Amino acid sequence: MTDLNKSRAERIQSSLAKRYRAEKRFQMYGYAAIAFGLLCVVILFTDIISKGYKAFGQTYIQLEVTYDASTLGITDVNDSQQLALADFHGIVKKALKSRFADVSGRKAKRDLYGLISNGAGYTLRDRLVANPELLNQTETLWLVADDDIDTYYKSIGSDAGAFTGRMSEQRQGWVDQLVESNDVEMRVNRNFFTKGDSREPELAGIRGAAMGSLFTLIITLGLSFPIGVAAAVYLEEFAPRNRWTDLIEVNINNLAAVPSIIFGLLGLAIFINFFHVPRSVPVVGGLVLTLMTLPTIIISSRAAIKAVPPSIRDAAIGVGASPMQVVLHHVLPLAMPGMLTGAIIGMAQALGETAPLLMIGMVAFIVDVPGGFTDPATVLPVQIFLWADSPERAFVEKTSAAIMVLLAFLILMNTLAVVLRKRLERRW
Amino acid sequence: MVNKMVTDIAVEMPTGLVQPEQENIDGIEYPKQTVGTPLLESSKMSMRNVDVFYGDKQAIFNVNVDVGQHEVIAMIGPSGCGKSTFLRSINRMNDTVESCKVTGQLTLDGEDIYSTKMDPVALRARVGMVFQKPNPFPKSIYDNVAYGPRLHGLASRRAELDEIVETSLTRAGLWTEAKDRLDQPGTGLSGGQQQRLCIARAIAISPEVILMDEPCSALDPIATAKIEELIAELSQNYTIAIVTHSMQQAARVSHRTAYFHLGRLVEVNETEKVFTAPEHQLTEAYITGRFG
Repeated sequence: MTDLNKSRAERIQSSLAKRYRAEKRFQMYGYAAIAFGLLCVVILFTDIISKGYKAFGQTYIQLEVTYDASTLGITDVNDSQQLALADFHGIVKKALKSRFADVSGRKAKRDLYGLISNGAGYTLRDRLVANPELLNQTETLWLVADDDIDTYYKSIGSDAGAFTGRMSEQRQGWVDQLVESNDVEMRVNRNFFTKGDSREPELAGIRGAAMGSLFTLIITLGLSFPIGVAAAVYLEEFAPRNRWTDLIEVNINNLAAVPSIIFGLLGLAIFINFFHVPRSVPVVGGLVLTLMTLPTIIISSRAAIKAVPPSIRDAAIGVGASPMQVVLHHVLPLAMPGMLTGAIIGMAQALGETAPLLMIGMVAFIVDVPGGFTDPATVLPVQIFLWADSPERAFVEKTSAAIMVLLAFLILMNTLAVVLRKRLERRW
Repeated sequence: MVNKMVTDIAVEMPTGLVQPEQENIDGIEYPKQTVGTPLLESSKMSMRNVDVFYGDKQAIFNVNVDVGQHEVIAMIGPSGCGKSTFLRSINRMNDTVESCKVTGQLTLDGEDIYSTKMDPVALRARVGMVFQKPNPFPKSIYDNVAYGPRLHGLASRRAELDEIVETSLTRAGLWTEAKDRLDQPGTGLSGGQQQRLCIARAIAISPEVILMDEPCSALDPIATAKIEELIAELSQNYTIAIVTHSMQQAARVSHRTAYFHLGRLVEVNETEKVFTAPEHQLTEAYITGRFG
């Protein structure tokens, strides 16, 4: 008997050791999975940030500019018609010519004028309009350099050596000359945050796409959250269980798995071709993304409503609450954190969505920052797609910078979700 | 007992087991009609030929019983015998269960509970309910009690509402414990206190009948004793129907006891009689612990 007992105890001992080993292994799998995930995130972020951080700086060149009335071809600064025709780039050219007096020949001159961005003329015009007394005066100004110069200047001193690209040696010489005389400077790239898209990388900004995304998401949230919650409440609380509601449920689950480009085609066929909603505007983008987000919101809202304990419903019905009062006073407040989480996940999905928007014209090249729901616009992921597709070297860092802006938006939204959840959750 | 029983042949028979007309269903001998005194001369509620179905499955078979004014009637029986189902039919809580169908006649003060004229919301304001598991709302103690009166517009001023809350909590024996923490969550109370809060919430709308579905099954003996005391007090003003698993509890709190067996109402008698001299052998088997 004692022998038997001993062997039993031993067996338990040895099986215990085995169980603990298995448990350790199981824990290790978990650590490994999390470590792998974190590693991927770290690699992604380092890659994007290392490529993109330079886009937040911009190369400026210092020049002595004369607002020469005859070169500009204007007599009255307050005449908008004259201003529109005035040759502001001409005075930039003049300034460059006087800085590098020894340049001759058509090709060399064109190269020289290309040191400064085409957008510099607009800066000068804005300055002159703001200070009309500057006419025929001379002042020293920092002007935005061309993207080739920008790329070259940023790459000076890097491990791979300076990136010359399509820069001629002569141009490099001019830049080096300017650098030596401290006439080249890196400044915060304000254009990037205040301008819309542009063919010139040094003038291209993310604001247009960011505003487009904002307007589109406002429409999406404003439509999909109330519709989704109402549908979920009806299906969970009021709908009879029959073949029709089963059919609806199956279809909602199917819709959640439909590729998003299909929603784009649907939007094109219905909203644009049938209802004649204008193309490329946040309204139609929001409508399409609403269709795409609805299943997510309905499914998560239903799960949240299902999670409300039935005893609370019983209690409310028991004191004589009507079905609507049960929903409004008890079910919705208790389900709200879950529903909001679902909605924000849906919104994050919508924020990152590109494919359906391509179908409804939000892929257009739009320079103006949209000011409302019916202005042509593009959105952040589409902007990333457009820039990634552009040949200019300077768009590489712009693309990464745009991804950083998009990620910042996402992180902001997810933080908001967590905060809202914490605040609304009733832990009692 | 204030109510006079309808004289029944069974009552006049000498004590000991009687053999009324029996029918054999699935090997169990049921009385054809409920033995004892299910019917009263004057009643607060009366149920006649009540059948309850869940889809195709019948849960309650032809129940006939009256509940007298300010009476405590206990419903006992083995698990799954339909006593809770029957209780939930009385205030139409079963309406929320889609497959559930109730036939027969149930009346409250002579009004048909299941007629189209009866509004279930108004009915539940007259027939309150306390559930098995304490289920206070995740709100403050005050709001828990004030919820019903607010819903039904019973108080027009804040002072009135305060008074209702105070009287309800006092009657539920919770006022002294809760008066300093009215703004704290009801879910922060102990289990027994929560159940008393639920009782306070039920009586705050001054119902005529209170249904209690195993109100003490989740509580410890001390909390149970308090609730039982409370039931005895409440019975002076309210008609109470209580479902319980504990025969001792039924014996302690009720005036009459109804014994359910697999959906059939076997016997209804004065509580003392049920526990000392049951008329039917099924009742006897249950109270002597041969099954349950």
